[in-house]
Amino acid sequence: MKMAPTLARQTHQGFRNLGSLALALGLLGACANPGGSEPDPQPAAEPLFQVPAHFPAPVYDLSKNPLTKEGILLGRTLFYDGLLSRDGTIACGECHRQDFAFTHHTHDVSHGIGDRMGTRNAPALQNLAWGSTFFHDGGVTDLDLLPLAPIENPVEMDEKIGNVLEKLRKSPKYPALFKAAYGRAANGSEEITTPKFLKALSQFMVTLVSANSRYDRYRRGEVQLDADEVAGLTVFKAKCATCHAGELFTDGSFRNNGIGPGVFGDLGRERVTEQYADRYKFQVPSLRNVSVSRPYMHDGRLPTLDAVLDHYARGVQDSPTLDPLLKQGGRLGIPLTNAERKQLLAFLNTLNDSKFLTNPAFAEPTN
Amino acid sequence: MKSIFLAALLGLAFFAVSCQKTDDPDAFNPADKNAVTLEFDHRVGGQRLAFNTTYKNGSGEEFTVTMLNYFVSNVSLTKDDGTVVKFPDRYFLLRLADPKTLNLTLPDVPAGNYKQVTFSVGVDSAKSVSSADALKGVLDPALWADPMYWSWNSGYIFWRFEGTSPAIPASATGARIFNLHVGGFGGRTAPTPNNLRTITLPVGTELAKVRNNIAPAVHLLVDIAKFFDGPTKISLAKTNQVHAPVAAVPLANNIATLFSIDHVHNDKE
Repeated sequence: MKMAPTLARQTHQGFRNLGSLALALGLLGACANPGGSEPDPQPAAEPLFQVPAHFPAPVYDLSKNPLTKEGILLGRTLFYDGLLSRDGTIACGECHRQDFAFTHHTHDVSHGIGDRMGTRNAPALQNLAWGSTFFHDGGVTDLDLLPLAPIENPVEMDEKIGNVLEKLRKSPKYPALFKAAYGRAANGSEEITTPKFLKALSQFMVTLVSANSRYDRYRRGEVQLDADEVAGLTVFKAKCATCHAGELFTDGSFRNNGIGPGVFGDLGRERVTEQYADRYKFQVPSLRNVSVSRPYMHDGRLPTLDAVLDHYARGVQDSPTLDPLLKQGGRLGIPLTNAERKQLLAFLNTLNDSKFLTNPAFAEPTN
Repeated sequence: MKSIFLAALLGLAFFAVSCQKTDDPDAFNPADKNAVTLEFDHRVGGQRLAFNTTYKNGSGEEFTVTMLNYFVSNVSLTKDDGTVVKFPDRYFLLRLADPKTLNLTLPDVPAGNYKQVTFSVGVDSAKSVSSADALKGVLDPALWADPMYWSWNSGYIFWRFEGTSPAIPASATGARIFNLHVGGFGGRTAPTPNNLRTITLPVGTELAKVRNNIAPAVHLLVDIAKFFDGPTKISLAKTNQVHAPVAAVPLANNIATLFSIDHVHNDKE
């Protein structure tokens, strides 16, 4: 295992136990023997967070929220706890299921508290440390502030953050979990606070890194892709990768892909910027784990990847804010032959990361 | 007798001089400090603003108020010599429902004569985009009786004004409610209106005199009538639901005109 210098720096800050620290320092190749003490003989644990070698530097500032084993466990416990909702029924994990890349399995729009329905499809939660805008319209620009939105949304968890903290303070398990994660403040306080709550959720969310698909292993020279998959990658690079760019498979931009307003008439990015130029624009989603995160589009309108390719090949609707890439040479959409579609689907399936989808560290904790 | 009179006169003169020397009301030790209190007194024209009371705006619409909450920040005081004393990173949440929040105390103000008060209504951009660690004190959403944050489009609600009016068309449930929420700090990833308004008010002829034994109280009037009848006339029949920055711009411009300083108390402690 080899760590990039950036990674070593970041993981270093996150380590709590000496074994991990020794590992990080050892990998840095410098002062492996801090303070002259003997290195901890314990076997080193997996790093809490790694920047995959082919990924860019993360956006999330880990120096302001250093990861710890205890902090991640707290965040993970909170993520799966219905206590965050008004009536105790809806946890984050309800609409964000691990085996479906943390989306709401097969639901077009999410069903929240009291089976109330929203107007948008739950986005996948993966590689969040690289995100600079969140939700389909980019209304939240800091991962730490993200949980406030679903908690307060009347059709999702319909709760007030103050009530959540009160319930946590009174619960039999959380005071100890918070204390384990944060210890005692300089002023002696062990209080459960809004920043601690939000940053613990971020700690867990930041660990949700997907970088072990067959594509990634191919990228690292560990496996070969078959002929269709390789051909699909070529088609992908020529016809899709401008928007679904780089190793994150998104450029993070907001674009009108010609899907049309749909039954909800969702204005998309315009809701945030209040600019007509942003009408019907939504954030380009990553394509990692794409075949398990169905259905597709901001309102879950398209049930299969085939339907998505149909849309791009012949379903694109014109409008003043349509992305120019979808109207080149006066032609709507992206021309795709049947062979190209078959190859693209083969390639898209290489983006499934079964290790990510089944990693027990991301599952509901048993504590 | 004459000499006694002269002695008395001299004594009186001496007393007057010495009195001037030791008790000069304008003399102070610049190292002294004391608090300044800004008292926000809410009115509708000539009437005191209260809940369960009917008022009329310039459009002839009757209204009652059920909520008035707003942030005040970036307060600064200007001395008569032009020196500015700033109070950065101090945020106040004023709530009409909680009278003690309407008196803002600025501690440790250096002794001097202050001629001007400046403050912003809202939460500045820098604070609005700072990390989760900033969510404390009055900026902590967990401590609010009424939410002061747009969680779906991250940013503080600077001014939250709600009530009822018979001029408002009835909703499906028969309610005639106004919710006029002003926010918008300029945006982080895309430019949006910045509805923070900074207000500068002269104290008046009687300056606020901070002394070792004087903690001045500056009495401000906040005239809600001008919220409806400011630079842009707001009719509740037309404008009764505002929850986003663009529509809030004219409201923010009106908010900038609400405040005045009525008088200052320089009472000795």
